[in-house]
Amino acid sequence: MEAKRIKFERTGGFAGIRFAADFALDDLPKGQAHQILELLDEMDFDELPEKIQDNQQVADGFQYSITVVTEKREHSVTTSDTSAPKKMEPLLEVLTQIAKQQARNKK
Amino acid sequence: MHNHNHRHPINCILPPHVLKNIATHGTESQKSMAFSTIKVSEQMRGQRRAMADFTAAAFRVTAVGGGKERIIYDAKNGSTLPGTIVRKEGDGPVADVAVNEAYDGSGTTYDLYKNIYGRDSIDNNGMRLDSTVHYKKDYDNAFWDGEQMVYGDGDGELFNRFTIAIDVIGHELTHGVTQFEAKLVYSQQPGALNESMSDVFGSLVKQYSLSQSANEADWLIGAGLLAAGVNGIALRSMKAPGTAYDDPVLGKDPQPGHMKDYVNTSSDNGGVHINSGIPNHAFYVTAMQLGGKAWEKVGQIWYVTLRDKLTSSSNFQTCANQTFTVAGALFGAGSLEQQAVKFGWSEVGLDVEGSGDTTTPPASPGCLGSLLKLIGAA
Repeated sequence: MEAKRIKFERTGGFAGIRFAADFALDDLPKGQAHQILELLDEMDFDELPEKIQDNQQVADGFQYSITVVTEKREHSVTTSDTSAPKKMEPLLEVLTQIAKQQARNKK
Repeated sequence: MHNHNHRHPINCILPPHVLKNIATHGTESQKSMAFSTIKVSEQMRGQRRAMADFTAAAFRVTAVGGGKERIIYDAKNGSTLPGTIVRKEGDGPVADVAVNEAYDGSGTTYDLYKNIYGRDSIDNNGMRLDSTVHYKKDYDNAFWDGEQMVYGDGDGELFNRFTIAIDVIGHELTHGVTQFEAKLVYSQQPGALNESMSDVFGSLVKQYSLSQSANEADWLIGAGLLAAGVNGIALRSMKAPGTAYDDPVLGKDPQPGHMKDYVNTSSDNGGVHINSGIPNHAFYVTAMQLGGKAWEKVGQIWYVTLRDKLTSSSNFQTCANQTFTVAGALFGAGSLEQQAVKFGWSEVGLDVEGSGDTTTPPASPGCLGSLLKLIGAA
C-alpha cells in the first residue's frame, strides 16, 4: 500500500485523555516512515475491517482510530487494546509515540 | 490447594465448540483453562466474538473455600493475559514494587468491601482477584477487562506506574463489582455513573487504608500518577472537578462539577471519564456534609444503591433519586443522612425527585428486619 498520510487518535483509558496525530509520511524521518509502511504491509491494513472490537465491555480501555490515506482511497480502522491483532500492536506503539511528540511540539 | 497453572494458555488443538462446552460445563479448573485458551486464540485472530457466548459465570474463578484470594501476574511488557504468576495469596513481598502494590491494593479493596459492606469479593461469591502488572511497554493505563485487572508501567515521562495509586486499584476492582450488580452500560450517563462508582469506591479504599475522615481525605483520583514535570496533582478531583491538571501536553482537566457544564461528546464513550465529575462531586459534598469516615454512611448509601437500585441504563437523575431513597431506608426519612444526599445532588444541579418524602415520619428504629433485608444482611 502506498500510504501518504496517517491520522491517529487514542481516546478513553483510565485518564480519559485524548492523544492524536495527523501527519504526512514524507514529513517523518525516513527510517520511521519505512517502519510504519512495513508494519502496515505486514498486517494487510487495507484488508482489515473498519471495526475490530470486543463484544465484551472493557472498562477504562483505550480506543484507537487509525486512518491511512493513499492516493486512491482512505481506510479507517477502530480497535482497542484487547481486540487489536497482535501484528497491530507495534504500529499502535509507534503512532502513540508520534501523537505524544506532536502534543509536546505544540507546547 | 488451588492449581495455579490452570490459567496458562495451552496449545489449542480442541475445536472452539468443544472449548465452549468445557468453559460452560467443566470443573472450575477446566473452565478456567478452556477460557484462557479461547481468549488467547481469539486475541491472536484479533477478535473475541466467541467470548460473547459466555456469561461471566461460565468462566468465573472462585477462591477455594471463599474469602480473599489474590494472584498477581507479570505480563513482562507483553500483551498476553494473564501472564506469569509472580505472587499469590499468602506469599510474602517480592522485589517488584508494582507486584506488591497490586497485591496490597487489591487486598485492601477486598477488605473494604468485606468488612464494611459484607461483600465477598467482586461477585460476592469469593471470586479470585487476578491482577496483571507490566502490561505492554510504556503503557500508560489500567483497565478491567471483564475478568481481571490490568496495569501498565506508564511511559515515565507523563505517567508513572498505575499501581502507584491505591485508588486506581480500588477503581478497577469496582468496575468488576458494577459488572456483577448494576451492569451500567459503558456509555453516556450510565457509563459516567459506572466511572463515578469506581472513583467513589477507589477514593474510599484510599481513605479506608489511611483511616482518614472526609475532612482529611484529598479526594483525588490518581495522586502520584503524573510524572515529575507534569503540571498537575492527579487525574481527577472529586472535591473540585476540572482542577486536577493543566498541562501543555496533557491539556486541562475537562471534568465538570455541575450539570450546567455537562459535556456532550462522542469521544471517550460519550465522555464517561469527563461527566463522572458530576456524580463524583455530589458524593464529595454529601460526605463533607456528614463528616466522619465517608465509607461508613455515604459509602453504604452508594453501595446499596449500586447493588440494589441501579440498572444498566440508569442516569444521574435515577442515581440521585435512588441514593435519596436508600438513605431514607437506611437512616430514616428526613434524617440528616437523607438531607445530606439531597443537598449533595442539588449542589451539582440535580433536584431529587419525590423528595417530599422527607416529610414522612422517620422509619421506626424497630424496623431492623426491613433494614437488614435492604442491605443484604438477612
